[in-house]
Amino acid sequence: MKPPIVLKRLMTVSFVLLLLLLAAMLLGLSVGSTGSSLTATVQTLWGKNEIDPTLAAIIWRIRLPRVLLAALVGATLSVGGLVFQALLRNPLAEPYILGISGGSAIGAIIGILLGVSPFPGVSLFAFIGSMATLLLILMMVSGQTILKRESLLLSGVMVNAFCAAVIMFLVSLTQDSRLHNIIFWLMGDFSMVDARQVAILAVTLLPGMILIFWFAHPMNLLLAGKEPAQSMGVHVKAVTVTLLVTTSFMVSATVSHSGLLGFVGLVMPHLLRLLLGPDHRVLVPACILGGSTYMVLCDLLARILPEQGEMPAGVITAMIGAPLFIFLMKTSKR
Amino acid sequence: MNKEYPGLIDFSPGFLLQPVLKKLQIMIDAIKSALKSACCLVIFSLLTGGLFLPTAFAATFTIVTDLLGRSVKVPADPRRVIALAPNITEIIFALKQEHRLKGVTQFSDYPVEARKLPKVGSYVQLDLERIVALKPDLCIAIKDGNPRSVVERLESMGIPVYALDPRNLNSVMETILAIGMLMQAENTARDLVQTMQTRVARVQTKVSQAASKPGVFFQIGISPIVSVGTPTFIHELIEKAGGTNLAAGDTPYPRFSREQVLGLSPDIIIITSMTRAAVFERVKEEWSRWPNMPAVQNQKIFITDSNLFDRPSPRLVDALELLARLIHPEFIKENQSP
Repeated sequence: MKPPIVLKRLMTVSFVLLLLLLAAMLLGLSVGSTGSSLTATVQTLWGKNEIDPTLAAIIWRIRLPRVLLAALVGATLSVGGLVFQALLRNPLAEPYILGISGGSAIGAIIGILLGVSPFPGVSLFAFIGSMATLLLILMMVSGQTILKRESLLLSGVMVNAFCAAVIMFLVSLTQDSRLHNIIFWLMGDFSMVDARQVAILAVTLLPGMILIFWFAHPMNLLLAGKEPAQSMGVHVKAVTVTLLVTTSFMVSATVSHSGLLGFVGLVMPHLLRLLLGPDHRVLVPACILGGSTYMVLCDLLARILPEQGEMPAGVITAMIGAPLFIFLMKTSKR
Repeated sequence: MNKEYPGLIDFSPGFLLQPVLKKLQIMIDAIKSALKSACCLVIFSLLTGGLFLPTAFAATFTIVTDLLGRSVKVPADPRRVIALAPNITEIIFALKQEHRLKGVTQFSDYPVEARKLPKVGSYVQLDLERIVALKPDLCIAIKDGNPRSVVERLESMGIPVYALDPRNLNSVMETILAIGMLMQAENTARDLVQTMQTRVARVQTKVSQAASKPGVFFQIGISPIVSVGTPTFIHELIEKAGGTNLAAGDTPYPRFSREQVLGLSPDIIIITSMTRAAVFERVKEEWSRWPNMPAVQNQKIFITDSNLFDRPSPRLVDALELLARLIHPEFIKENQSP
């Protein structure tokens, strides 16, 4: 089925992107509020000459989980954007813009306020929230041709506005001290995870990513349109539903850990499509690796820029992504 | 693993030049060995019970129960303490144990010497990395404000965290005694608490002569207007200073509309806020537009230092004396601290 040329391309691309990711992660591990030194970090990671146990603890137990979480979240949101863009045949579709992230956040906040356990309780609530918004969006755009860009985006914007209002409603209802944490978490916060949570998240996300890669070829065929894909033997409905649910599940899992990070699903898929062409068999792994790199770097910026403390990474992703969104909307109008 | 990398490179001989490939191979080997030693380090540290800090090994430990009822293994003579809230910093300074203090939070500004100490983020948003880098042998946390996740992570890294929960005057005194016990300063702590009790008793004797308990609206937030309910220590201070808290109720920090405040017709309005003095003046002016309010008629709108009222520290007694002076100036004329 797969011609060897694709495999070759896939390997090369993945290898280069993997190197970039490792470089970004090394940078992420080297920078922190207590000073940044690439050489000291490399020495600590190497474990050769005498290591400062404090620095080792900081790198292994504080910076590493956060860098890994950023990578996982970036990978999920980027590949999520790619899937939505392919299935809805809309270059501007993305989990945040469509309101999937917002729906997950509502679910997660309800879970937090009800005091359920962080895992699996809050994650389950987030998943329910994301499924509800997904259904809502699909109901709104069904009947008309799904592809109509403006109507899909408008529905997404409205769902998003509604989600934002519900979130503020819930936050205003509570009077307790968890409020501060919720607001900070909402804007995308990587600082509070430990290695165990990252491991659980990785195990949750991995099957989804494999599944999406599995469906890369049908996604290629879907690009040509519903009917041609059907005639090529793709069970369009089954593929669409499976992929949408999987992606929403993955997005909701990341939202319940790190809040709302907007426009991540736009930047990497578009950049990589520009560089590598529209073949999803290459794009899916490329988005996973590229998205990880992008998010690790965004998180790095969020840690470096403020003099005191740190800013939520969502601020950075939105500041990069929103202008790009406007640019894409203007250029892709034909 | 070893066999996978050459295989990968074989796929793309035309794409990358051979020497580059060799260099990449060397890099890959380097990364692999780094990962290997990293794995060894992690396994080693897991076996030895986590990445403990070296200071933790040297000292002798005692097991104590903190004020949340958790048992904590603390050093008998802590040398590197981090106070995770401004009021803890104040208590440690009041006990003259500041030589043990190696880190404080962002707004720890009292006494002035506390400002010079290294900062570890604000108390609601602690910077874990800075805390660990200071190599503490003991962290002191508060239940309200310090995120539980930070406390759990500190503990998982082998740093003992002693938690406090000061909610009223009595528990502040309890807290002072507990910190005194932790820092081998029991006598100083007992003396300090004794002094505080004497001063509280003196205020209460004085205000008990008053015929009325004026209604106090204590405003801690400007926009929206926020006051303090029964479960706060400010409520306790108002009552002890001979006033009536108009915002008493189960909600700790209830929000009010301007209309509601007018409806309560407060005799006294006391405003604290973290914002600048100019903002205070504007708020005072705004209230002054309602001449029907008793507080305006009697010119009893006051502005106070918010730090005195925000922090359950030894200075709560100063706050109590200040309140008593504002509410009952007829009995307590000037600063009467002993």
